[in-house]
Amino acid sequence: MKVFSKLWVFGLLILGLAVPCYAEKIVVEGSTTVLPIAQKAAEVFMNSNPGADISVRGGGSGVGIASLIDGTCNIADSSRPIKDTELDKAVTNGRSPKANVVAMDGICVIVHPLNTVEALTGKQVKGIYTGKISNWKDVGGSDEKIVVISRDSSSGTFEAFGELALKGEKVRPDALLQASNQAVASTVSRTPGAIGYVGLGYLTSSVKAVDVDGVKASKETVLTGKYSIGRPLFMYTNGAPKGLVKQFIDYILSPEGQKLVEEEGFVGLK
Amino acid sequence: MKRVLTVVVLIGSMALNLGIRPSYAGEIDILLQKLVDKGVLTPGEAQQIGTETKEQVKSEIAAGKYSSLPAWVQNTKLKGDFRLRFQNLHEKNTNDISKNTTIGRIRMRLGLENKVNDKIKVGIGIATGSGDPRSTNITLGGSQAKKTIILDYAYGKYDPLSWLSFTGGKMLLNDVLWEPTDLIWDTDITPEGAAIGINKTLSPKTSVFLTAAPLVIVDDTSTTSGAMAYLVQPGINYAINDNLSLKGAVTYEYFETKDTAASSYSKGQNTKNGTSYEYNYSNLNPALEFSIREPFKALGLNIENLKFFGEYVNNLQVSDKNNGFSTGFQFGNAKIEKWGDWQFRYIYAMLEKDAVLDILPDSDRYSGKTGIRSHEGILTFGLGKNTNLGIDVYRSWNIVGTSAKAPETLLQVDWNMKF
Repeated sequence: MKVFSKLWVFGLLILGLAVPCYAEKIVVEGSTTVLPIAQKAAEVFMNSNPGADISVRGGGSGVGIASLIDGTCNIADSSRPIKDTELDKAVTNGRSPKANVVAMDGICVIVHPLNTVEALTGKQVKGIYTGKISNWKDVGGSDEKIVVISRDSSSGTFEAFGELALKGEKVRPDALLQASNQAVASTVSRTPGAIGYVGLGYLTSSVKAVDVDGVKASKETVLTGKYSIGRPLFMYTNGAPKGLVKQFIDYILSPEGQKLVEEEGFVGLK
Repeated sequence: MKRVLTVVVLIGSMALNLGIRPSYAGEIDILLQKLVDKGVLTPGEAQQIGTETKEQVKSEIAAGKYSSLPAWVQNTKLKGDFRLRFQNLHEKNTNDISKNTTIGRIRMRLGLENKVNDKIKVGIGIATGSGDPRSTNITLGGSQAKKTIILDYAYGKYDPLSWLSFTGGKMLLNDVLWEPTDLIWDTDITPEGAAIGINKTLSPKTSVFLTAAPLVIVDDTSTTSGAMAYLVQPGINYAINDNLSLKGAVTYEYFETKDTAASSYSKGQNTKNGTSYEYNYSNLNPALEFSIREPFKALGLNIENLKFFGEYVNNLQVSDKNNGFSTGFQFGNAKIEKWGDWQFRYIYAMLEKDAVLDILPDSDRYSGKTGIRSHEGILTFGLGKNTNLGIDVYRSWNIVGTSAKAPETLLQVDWNMKF
């Protein structure tokens, strides 16, 4: 019985240690696409609000939404709308996910400025990136091999392009992978037969953006949903945001916050 | 701002009233576009209002659907699974004579969890089986005889706080302890007694858990001493970064078995004094699991998850033949959810004869005995939503005394269906 008593004392001691007190703070978790917006906004927000403690981590949209349902995060970053199965689980757990759109993700398809191709269909873009089309003459251009430039698989832009333009199919294995939007734009500007894609915020005069399905990529066409390679980015909260969560989301939606959104290569809502 | 708020309220009310008809989503888009054209809204505001409204409608419909169900349905979760198994056991006995046994088995489990109120739940589960604490399988045959259904678990759970729970009854193993392998506890065991559980997030990267449980283990309740066990398990989850994480725990388990009549489910390997156990079992059991997300991404290999794990056990009450360990790895998809998802798991295990009480370890590893060494490889392949194929192979042998190894190879091919 002595052993038994010692065990329970040990258990109670650990119980005591495991229950420390906390100051108010918020946890933001989820989409790796939304991660740079959340990280940058949290950094600037905490600088001007020293009492605020905002912890930001990735993991993916599904992980963020699962954490919101389980109550282990306050804001779930997501690059897609919540699924019906997730909503059902949330409701049975007594949660009511509230969508807060904080930015738009718009991706331009770019070519070398001297390329005669001005427009592509979504099907042609998919064909080029999945390996079914390999020469510019097959899409109305000159007889020249297409040099396919893509972002590396760790980037959110790669993930978004794969979902929106390639409908989940894989990028051809001979594509040249670049680590940043700037590197893609730079490679395309130096390679006459190249095609690449960059976030709308990274479009420069050294490359030419081609229309997709007859729509020119612009802030307006992305915001109105007319341009097909675009999507809203979400921060889901449990019910309407309150307290520090509300202050943080309001900051991201403010002109200053939306400027940060555009600096990170996304399309601001303002 | 007032203008935008007015539009939000109007569109929101309209959408919620009409949300049951999907065609109205298109009409909302047209209305928002007109407001953009007239300069009432910017395209960004229209996008924000339109998207958030559609999401709100989805949320309200889900909530409405849920609240329209009868209260008992809202408060009850039903779950279960069915497994069809082909099994072949190849044994070589001490005289080096081989024996092959091929059988078909089924396992059905059906469970429900009912919310009594916001803080209390009751869980009840039935399953096929004969009463063996380590198995809910039933072997096919016996002239098509009807098979027996047993009570698998029945518990009450009180969650006074989000991080604190009290459970009592015949409980689910997960409510009592965490283990990276089934070295000590077969995963089919549903422990009996009570448990206090704490699971607290300390920071975005760190959470701790603690379980303390008095358990009724040995089925001889005729004596006043023994028949009980006490368990305490403090543990930690630590995310090193987005791709690396650790889970670890140190369990102390004390089984008051000395001079208690051996369980009818004992596999006969523990040291006995006549028909009673010779020793108490006082196990110290550290365990660790290390997970890596997308470990071979740099090489272009699409392996979602890689885990390394291991645990060690020492029976502090005995000085000889009192150790055990298991170690292994797992890679593939983190979960088997659809066609083509796959996972491979390997475990090497060693248990000396008095390392643990021999009514507890995995019943498929050398029939659940102690005094063994074993390799195990499991390949699971997703056949579709909620269904998969599992191939589990054990190669195990005896390490007790100077007797022959008597090795055995167990092959199990399972078709699993969950609902």
